[in-house]
Parts: sequence; structure tokens; C-alpha cells
Amino acid sequence: MKVQYFALLRDVTGKREEEWHQPEATVGDLMRDLVTKYGHAFERWVMKDGALWNLVIILVNGRDVRQMRRFDTPLAPDDTVVIFPPVGGG
Amino acid sequence: MYGWIGKVLRVNLSTGKISTEALDPGLAKDYLGARGLGTKIMTDEVDPKVDPLSPENKLIFAPGPLTGSYAPSAGRYTVVTKGALTGAIASANSGGVWGPELKFAGYDILIFEGAAPKPVYLWIKDQTVELRDASHLWGKNVPETSDAIRAETDDDAKIACIGQAGENKVLFACIMNDLHRAAGRSGTGAVMGSKNLKAVAVVGTGAVTCADPKSFELAVMKARDKIQKHPVGGTGLRLYGTDVLTNILNQIGAYPTKNFQDGQFAGADKLGGETLAATLLQRPKGCFSCIISCGRVTKVTNKQYAGEGEGPEYETSWGFGGDCFIDNLDAVTKANYLCNEHGLDTITMAATVACAMELYEKGLITREDTGGIALEWGNAEAMVEVTRLTCVGEGFGKKLALGSYRLADSYGHPELSMTVKKQEIPAYDARGIQGIGLNYATANCGAAHVRGYTISPEVLGTPMKVDKDTIDGKPALVILFQNLTAALDATGACLFTTFGIGADEFAEMLSAITGVAYTAEGFLRCGDRIFNLERQWNLAAGLTTKDDSLPPRLLHEPIKTGPSKGMVSRLPEMLPVYYELRGWDENGVPTSVKLGELGLAA
Repeated sequence: MKVQYFALLRDVTGKREEEWHQPEATVGDLMRDLVTKYGHAFERWVMKDGALWNLVIILVNGRDVRQMRRFDTPLAPDDTVVIFPPVGGG
Repeated sequence: MYGWIGKVLRVNLSTGKISTEALDPGLAKDYLGARGLGTKIMTDEVDPKVDPLSPENKLIFAPGPLTGSYAPSAGRYTVVTKGALTGAIASANSGGVWGPELKFAGYDILIFEGAAPKPVYLWIKDQTVELRDASHLWGKNVPETSDAIRAETDDDAKIACIGQAGENKVLFACIMNDLHRAAGRSGTGAVMGSKNLKAVAVVGTGAVTCADPKSFELAVMKARDKIQKHPVGGTGLRLYGTDVLTNILNQIGAYPTKNFQDGQFAGADKLGGETLAATLLQRPKGCFSCIISCGRVTKVTNKQYAGEGEGPEYETSWGFGGDCFIDNLDAVTKANYLCNEHGLDTITMAATVACAMELYEKGLITREDTGGIALEWGNAEAMVEVTRLTCVGEGFGKKLALGSYRLADSYGHPELSMTVKKQEIPAYDARGIQGIGLNYATANCGAAHVRGYTISPEVLGTPMKVDKDTIDGKPALVILFQNLTAALDATGACLFTTFGIGADEFAEMLSAITGVAYTAEGFLRCGDRIFNLERQWNLAAGLTTKDDSLPPRLLHEPIKTGPSKGMVSRLPEMLPVYYELRGWDENGVPTSVKLGELGLAA
């Protein structure tokens, strides 16, 4: 599947997007794997106490995981996951 | 008085009479200041049916009790008048340093009435106030006007002025202050132009006093800490500005594209805050006492669109960008600079270009109408050119100067104008985010995102996350956000402080600085009172429940592609519930019980 990064996460990962594959994965599996790969600099912008930080926007095919099953949201091989750290405006 | 200065400055432009009055402490307590006190004075003194561009309309500049203090991001003032674009009450809010300077000069409120027989500007240096001839400034843009006035008054003068757009009474002309900040919406600049008032220049050497300095310091430090620790207020806005929203709105499929014909734009990332920060951004910038610094000081080196200035904000980037199907950030920024220099509201300007592009696409506008300009989707060069023509009042720009509603109506298709109360809808598609559509429909100034920014809970997750797709609980949510915003606007603080603090913190700061005991509930009641007073005046001006609506496209044409595909606004289901929760009857009229609760009964 495709994973896309925005705002500070582009600096943290050094990427705009990358491929990630794991069978029968969830959003939580993906995020924990990305924390392992990118370390605390990534974790501090996406998690609180090991759970999804409520200000973080993770979309699976444009759908907000906070309106689905959060870290338990299942992922399919052709999904696109986009991750925004806490940002805002108006 | 503490927090408030206690003085109102009144200028009759018809007679030249300048006078001062004491500020009524009772009114100050109930309406706070800025949008609140400005609205109270406007509704007391001006016939709601007045022609906005007649001398009988008034133009009120009002900072709030926190303005000029060291409360976080407390640098704002509000312009209240009858909107030239909307015919509804206008209360356009601006930052910078001009508002605090008016307080330092010794005034809580500045009221202009009548109209000057020839161009003038007002020069205020503390108690010395004089009207000066501005004939030599007429025809100058905002930077030229500001430089000229400083040269003939004081190097430190803070200037609020109109550009050529206001002089030409473009219906969405704004008032610019400190060069780059705008009291942007509803046509405040056209009203100023109709009064032959070119500028207000201020130097103040006084200060804002505080009833309980120690409590105020504690309350301010607590509020600052909460804002700075919040990732949006403390980090995100400074790094990426408001334009960071581009990719979020686009990814969820609620980024209005091609005059709201769709909800996603393939070129969005080229316009977003990440791209802006990596290319045009020179440095972030804050207003008076700001700890957030969302402002963007930018520079375009591309020769075709070269310039320097501030912006774009998200709304501007979207309007000249995706709404016109343009992914050229240099061109978008150039259009932003033109609007700032000539004094135009970027949201209405951009959305009017988008509307004109759709009229052109449908063959309702031809090259003959545009003076040979191919006003096609994605044509950045054409977008910048018609913006320039509107700025200077030439050619097809004279038609665009009417705003999108009157433009589309003149070609027999008002339904192609994406407006509420004739004011253009900002950059969030109400089909993909249900609550914001209800806010657009009911905001007293016409469509506006900053009157009840439910994007925070519906999209961003601040202070809590709610489902953007449902209508459950949305009427109550919109009312809460509208009341909180009205009260917050009335303090003189910036809306972005709510990325960190809320009614409790404002009640604490207000109590300490003014010496009047406010609770969070009392603070929100001030907002409710202000909102209902605006509503009553609009109804008396002739607006009805029919004006609490959205364009037919948002109600009946589903979004075509992306995650919000198939969705329309469910406003008709939400509006009756909203009226009932507001304490209004089925026609949207506040009941006597409601008015009694708020102290607004006749």
C-alpha cells in the first residue's frame, strides 16, 4: 500500500510517500512499524502513550480512522494511507 | 475603567465635527468591545434599511478590552458597518498593530458618520485629532498611501486605509491596515470609500491599564502556556501557516474545486503550506503580542509574477488556486499581492473569478465580454489579469467588481454564485463537512468560516473529534462555536488562540484586566447576546429565513469524486433544529423569551 506524509512528517521521514506491505495489517501495525523505523521524532507527532493522538489525522482512502476503528482499522493491499501531524488553520 | 480606556471618538465627516464621549460601563460589561460594542452602537444608531453606501451608514472601528494588553495574540480590532456586498451587518476583524495603537491613543471606539465632501484622512495623535485633506492620496494604492501619510505625519504612524478598490466602491473592497492585514469581508472598504475617507493614521503614547495586574499576569501566563504547548498553536501554524490545510481538505474530498463543481484537485499539493514554506516563504510573522505567528512574509522571484508581500493564507491559496483549477503558487501569490495593494477581499475576488470561469465554460460569458481574455479553467495568466483589472477598475474588472452573485445574476444564472447573503463561501465544502454548512447559512455577516469554525472538531479534532459526515449534534455545536467566537471577537483576541484556550481562560483574563467578574458561562452569554443582536438587526434590514440557505449546488448536486463522493449538504434537516435550540421561532426570529434572557427585550 501507499503511505503519504505531510507537514513535519515529510521532514522526519525525508519522504513524501513510500510503499509499505504487511498481510492482514491494521493502522496500528503500520504506525508501530513506522515508529520503529523513524524513532522518537516520528512517534512524538503521532502517538500519546502508545495510542493514536487525537489531533493526528490518518486517512485511509480519504476516510478518517478516528471515525472508524482508530488503530484497529484494517488495511488492504491497495489502500492509500495519508498521515498529518497536528496542524490547523482557518 | 480598566482594560477599556473609557472613551469613544466620534467624527462627523459631513460637518467635520470631532467629539469624544464617555464609554458606558454597563454596555462595556455586556458587550465587551470590538464586534460586541461595535454592533451595539451600530444597531442603536443606524436604520437597518439604510443604503450601505449612503452617508446615513456608519463605519465603526473598535478594538476590545484585551487589545493592546500582553494577553496572547490580543492585537485585533473589528470594523462594524452595513456591508456593501451583503446588505447585512458587517463585522470584519483584523490583526496587525493598528488596533492596539488606537487604544494607546486613548479610544475604545472610533465612529465615522456622514460623508466628507472631498477626500480626507483622519490623523490621531493621542488627544489631537484632525481631518486632513487626502486629495493628493486619492488614486494611490495601500503602500503608496501608507508611505505618504507617514511622511507627512509621523514615521511611527499606524495606518488603516483603502486602496483604489475602496475608492471605486468595489462591493468587496476591504480596509487594509499595517500594509498586509485586512478587515476583509462584506465590503467595509467600499463603505469607507463612499465616505471619501482614505485613511486613519494613529500614534498613541498611552497604555492599557489593568484592574488586578498580578491575577492578569497569572491568567495570561497560563493561557500562553496552553497555546504554546498545543501542537497547532505552538508549532504548526508558525511553520506552515494556515495554508497547511490545503492537503487536508483535499485528501478528505472537501476542497472546493472549479467553483464547487467537485471536491478534489490533483494540483493541491503544489499550493499547500508545505510547498509555500519550501519555496516562497521568507519568514513567519505575528501580529501584536502574538505567540503563534501564522503570517507568511513571502517573495516571488518568477519574473512573470514577481513581487514581495504577505500571504497567501489558506483561503486565498484555495480561491485563486483550486477553485480556479490553478496549481501555480507564484500566480496565486501575485493575485494575493494585487488584492492587498489595492484593498480587495481575496476570498470574494478569487471566488468571483471562479464563478466567471464557470460562466465562460458554459458559454454565458464570451471573449467579447472579457475583452479578449480566455477565462478558462487553469489559466493562471488570465486569473491574475482579471484580478488586476478589478483592482484598478478597468474593462471586465468592472463586472467582477460586483462580486459573484450580481455577476452571475446579470447573466441570468445566480445559482452559479457560491454565496450566502451574497457573500462568497470560503474554502471548505459544506457537502463533505456538514456542520460548517449550517454555520455558513446562519452567520450574520454572510458566508464566513471564522464565525463558527466547526472545522476544528469536524476535521482537525480540536478540542474533540466529531464525525464530519453526520448531522447529529451539529446544530448545538454550531451554536456553541458561533457564541464562543462572537465573545472572543469582542475581546480583541485572535481566533487562533482557541487552539489552546477557551471560555474559561478568557473569563479569567477579562476578569483580571477589567475588574468585572466574568465566568465562562457569562462570557458565552455575551457571545449569544452579540449574535442575537446582529440577527435582530439583519431581520429589520429585510433578511429572512430564505437568506439562511446555501447555493442549490451544495444542496442538490453531489460531490462527483473522492472520499466525499455522493454527498450533499443536509442543511434543511439541521436548520429547524438550530432555530429551536437558538430560541428562535420557525421563521428564525428570536422569541421574546430568548431576548428577555439576553437583556435584549424592547
